[in-house]
Amino acid sequence: MKTLTIAAKDLTHIFQSVFSLVMMFGAPLMITGLLSFAFGGRTSGTGTFNLPVTRVQVVNLDQPDGAAPGFAAGKLLVDVLQGQSLSDVLAVTLVSDEASARTAVDEQQAGVAIIIPPDFTAAATSPDRSAAVVIYRDPTRTIGPGIVKDLVRHVMDGFSGAKIAGQVTADGLSAAGAEADQALKDTIVHEYTAWLQSDEHGAEGAAVPRLTVVAPTGAAQPKSQGADLIGPIMAGMLVFFVFFMGGNGAESIIREAEQGTLARLTSTPTSLAAILGGKFIGVIVSLCIQVAVLVLASLLLFGIQWGQAATVILVSLGLIVASAGFGVMLMSLITSSRQTGPVLGGVMTLTGMLGGLFTTAIPTIPASFNRVALVTPQGWALQGWKLALSGAGVGQTLVPVVVMLVMGSAFLAVGIVLFRRRFA
Amino acid sequence: MPDGVAIRAQDLQKQFRTVSAVRGVSFEVRAGEIFSLLGPNGAGKSTTISMLSCLLPPTQGDASVYGHSIRQSPQRVKACLGVVPQDIALYLDLSARENLEFWGKMYGLRGTALRQRVAEVLEIIGLTERQKDTVGTFSGGMKRRVNIGAALLHRPDVIIMDEPTVGIDPQSRRHILDNVKELNRQGMTVLYTTHYMEEAQELSHQIAIMDQGKVIVCGTHAELIRLVGERTRLDLTLDTEADALVECWRGIAGVHSLSADHGRLTLLVDDSNLVLPRLFETASQFGVRITSVTIEEPNLEAVFLHLTGKALRD
Repeated sequence: MKTLTIAAKDLTHIFQSVFSLVMMFGAPLMITGLLSFAFGGRTSGTGTFNLPVTRVQVVNLDQPDGAAPGFAAGKLLVDVLQGQSLSDVLAVTLVSDEASARTAVDEQQAGVAIIIPPDFTAAATSPDRSAAVVIYRDPTRTIGPGIVKDLVRHVMDGFSGAKIAGQVTADGLSAAGAEADQALKDTIVHEYTAWLQSDEHGAEGAAVPRLTVVAPTGAAQPKSQGADLIGPIMAGMLVFFVFFMGGNGAESIIREAEQGTLARLTSTPTSLAAILGGKFIGVIVSLCIQVAVLVLASLLLFGIQWGQAATVILVSLGLIVASAGFGVMLMSLITSSRQTGPVLGGVMTLTGMLGGLFTTAIPTIPASFNRVALVTPQGWALQGWKLALSGAGVGQTLVPVVVMLVMGSAFLAVGIVLFRRRFA
Repeated sequence: MPDGVAIRAQDLQKQFRTVSAVRGVSFEVRAGEIFSLLGPNGAGKSTTISMLSCLLPPTQGDASVYGHSIRQSPQRVKACLGVVPQDIALYLDLSARENLEFWGKMYGLRGTALRQRVAEVLEIIGLTERQKDTVGTFSGGMKRRVNIGAALLHRPDVIIMDEPTVGIDPQSRRHILDNVKELNRQGMTVLYTTHYMEEAQELSHQIAIMDQGKVIVCGTHAELIRLVGERTRLDLTLDTEADALVECWRGIAGVHSLSADHGRLTLLVDDSNLVLPRLFETASQFGVRITSVTIEEPNLEAVFLHLTGKALRD
């Protein structure tokens, strides 16, 4: 009964502390929300990933010279940008003068302005000429202008390829003792360009999409790409802040020792085991509440589907035991609450980084890093949550859960031994 | 409780690595009396009561509280005791009532009994009106009162108070001293440590004077005063430090003890009427001015000076 009284008192302290509430709930949800926003806003309920539409103003000054009848490079570029397949991403409007297009970008009415020069067709068809397409972009935007730049480069590469084809043909004729006149060179370039145009539109003339958003396959239920991105990020934040609060909760033992209340507790007919037990139960219950709130809040706020209920409960159990045990052991190693901030922040950040908690959104992590991550309890916890997110069943998450339970129990045993030695 | 003895300390010793904090302390506190441990800071008072409260294991020796050994039955000893630590040991983010309820539960109180006792203790410490305020908002004196209240909840047979009036205002100090006397009047045995001679003098049935980890004398106030006989204590202040003058005064007939501390001197003399003129005369010869003189009847300060050769404030 005294153990529960101590636990209840500690819980009161935790939930009266603004710092604790921020670190338990505010920080992980806020960081995940910010990352979600940075990656293009929260996911929609329809399961699509909403890339923001980029407004593009095109100034087509191109004046075909008649050397290649029926071919206008500037118009080809505009057609590509205005293609149906890009309508969800780009909103392209034609304007007549360069100054107004640049002003639109400066005033953030458009994300990108493209200025096609007057001699663009001539440069595209003549091997000896060149022209520069100007892309004027809003420096505060990244994704939309990047797409536009890649599309323009793709078209320009096509023109360059045509010119190279003409030059290669001429060089081949020259090596064979024949001379390629200008008319032949122009014919080759026109043929290449015509082929490129037909290839751009497919064999049957259907538009080939230049930007395709593909949802991963194999998931148990339809999920958005945004949720797939935000899920691991939230899992990383969940693990990090639960471990942080495990340490922060265990710090109450140090704090009570300094405030004299621990000595006073031991002057009552209450055993040290009951006191430490009460403090551990307080930490465990606070972590249970933290995990439950974060899982539910992230489901409601970000649409994260955490997986099967039994798996989530099992992984939560492993996480809570591991973080509470790790926190108790960490606090048993420090001697004063002045050390708590640096030690807690430093160790949790370092082990969190090693455990991969801050790199969950990077898809190209080397396998060796993933192996190193499993040195830390955070690495195992993250693996458990990733499995849960992928829809894994209880059986598939048993290994990380068992490892977390074993690690947590071992950490807890070490911590209790050290605390008993200190306060006995 | 054998022989009416509430607390019996027998050759208690405590060694911290190379430091001997308590060196063979023995005394007896009879049930129903106020027993003070008086001594300067570092004398070993707090270490002694920490051992009696089962917070520190003695290196050697033993003690019993109401017949229960602190070595053999610490949980029984703790159940008999209410301990008021020297520093405030409360949860500052909880209210006075919440603190008292928590500490009551730690002593095994529950339900109606707990609520009734908390109300009584709030009345005793005079904080019924402020019971819902968080302790962190209280003045130092009010915190001290809650600190004491938390030790009274389970109606202990013995209450141990470790310098409970340190650093508080006179009004709160008066309140605490009155509380101690009232608790004792109700039958509670009190073990009280202080370095304030006046408190020990006002409260105590028995006083043990400690210095350097030992009890140097123990008895009633009257018994201790008799140790210095009819001697008078003189407190003098000089306008400068004068070692040669002090040495000269030690040799004056009728001066029994002399303690000097940065121009402040305490002397035990046989007859101040005879000694004082000699002191002024020699001071004049040394070119030193005596800027203040206080003549005190024999008190515990004089006893301490008599026994240790130094003032209690040292």
